[in-house]
Amino acid sequence: MAEVSIKQCSKLALETGRILLESGAATNRVELMMQKVCSGLGYPECESFVTPTGIFLSISAAGDDLSTSIKRIGHRRIDLGKITDISKVVNCLHDASCNPLPEGKSKSAYLRDELRRIDEQKPYPMWLTNICGAGTSGFFCLLFGGSWSEFGVALIVGFLVATSLKYISRLPVNNFLLNALAAALIVLISKTIDIWVPGIRLDFIIIGGIMILVPGLQIVNAIRDTMSGDLVAGTARGMEAIIVTIGIVAGSGAMLKLWELWS
Amino acid sequence: MRPFDLLTLMQFCWAFLAIIGFSLRSNLRGSRVLFTGLGGGLCWASYLIILFYSKSMLLSVFLSIIFVCIYSEVVARLLDTPVSVFVICVIIPLVPGRSLYYAMQAYISGNSSLASRLIFDVLMISGTISIAIAMVASATQLVMKIKAPHLTRR
Repeated sequence: MAEVSIKQCSKLALETGRILLESGAATNRVELMMQKVCSGLGYPECESFVTPTGIFLSISAAGDDLSTSIKRIGHRRIDLGKITDISKVVNCLHDASCNPLPEGKSKSAYLRDELRRIDEQKPYPMWLTNICGAGTSGFFCLLFGGSWSEFGVALIVGFLVATSLKYISRLPVNNFLLNALAAALIVLISKTIDIWVPGIRLDFIIIGGIMILVPGLQIVNAIRDTMSGDLVAGTARGMEAIIVTIGIVAGSGAMLKLWELWS
Repeated sequence: MRPFDLLTLMQFCWAFLAIIGFSLRSNLRGSRVLFTGLGGGLCWASYLIILFYSKSMLLSVFLSIIFVCIYSEVVARLLDTPVSVFVICVIIPLVPGRSLYYAMQAYISGNSSLASRLIFDVLMISGTISIAIAMVASATQLVMKIKAPHLTRR
């Protein structure tokens, strides 16, 4: 019943895996989704091994046909929208009851078009995500006991940090340095604002800024991977969470100390 | 403060709005944004309420994470979404960013005994969060395997 060649099938499955892994999905989820793509396209015998930085996929068909491919994953971001969309498409492909296929279109063509659409999907406009960063920072400041004037300052800090995070992440820096720079920037901006606005407690503002950066995704993925038996992926994600945390602490601590020395 | 008063409601709203901001930043779309916000608010409010009655921080973190994880397992199945999408967003208010900052500040000012205590707090809270998430995830897998094998794909 296979409607595509084994190479095309492995190409589509790898593409699915790549988008999922680059958006920050848990590895057991990536394995499951790739297996569903393969069995949906008519190759039920497939083995995959996914780590946070790469995908191994091996598909076998009737006869001695066997195709193994490797995909290296470079940069990873958080994009929960893409994870949701791909899960929906793949589940539909697998499910006989759900029939989204337009007339005269094969499963593989449908999957290819959907993958391209999801991959090229525009994220929210930059001003909106920056305002959201400002809101997150401000409301966490209020949540941890800040007053309304501190809320205002935290809004400004959050906005500036979210904006500059966009630009910093375009540079070829690693995860540690990215978070360290962002945390240092939070401290620098709030200390600078403190010069002109007297009577604000900087603690709450800086904590509000730090809450934008905390590695919630890595913690959750590490636990869920470990619990589902992917020890390699779980350990790697846990290490990533620790590295991000150390980056935040190192960046903000270094900036606080520098400011103290300078003033 | 007392539970179920205006202050708790306001804290709920702030956590709600903060988590909505967070989930929009991570490019989540549609009505799911509202539900993650609701989960974040419930997470923080239940933490405050349980903290008032039990006076134990770790117990309240544990129970409220279990509560919101069950919430996300249910809502994720209703909205046809991966569960981890919800869990990632709703636990954010309890991730110990505050203790981490105070620990760092204590280290910088040379107060290492306070700093060690705070670092211990950070480790205990994140460990508690991990255990709670793991328990709910394993329990759900078990229940789903017994009760509804066709739904295990989520």
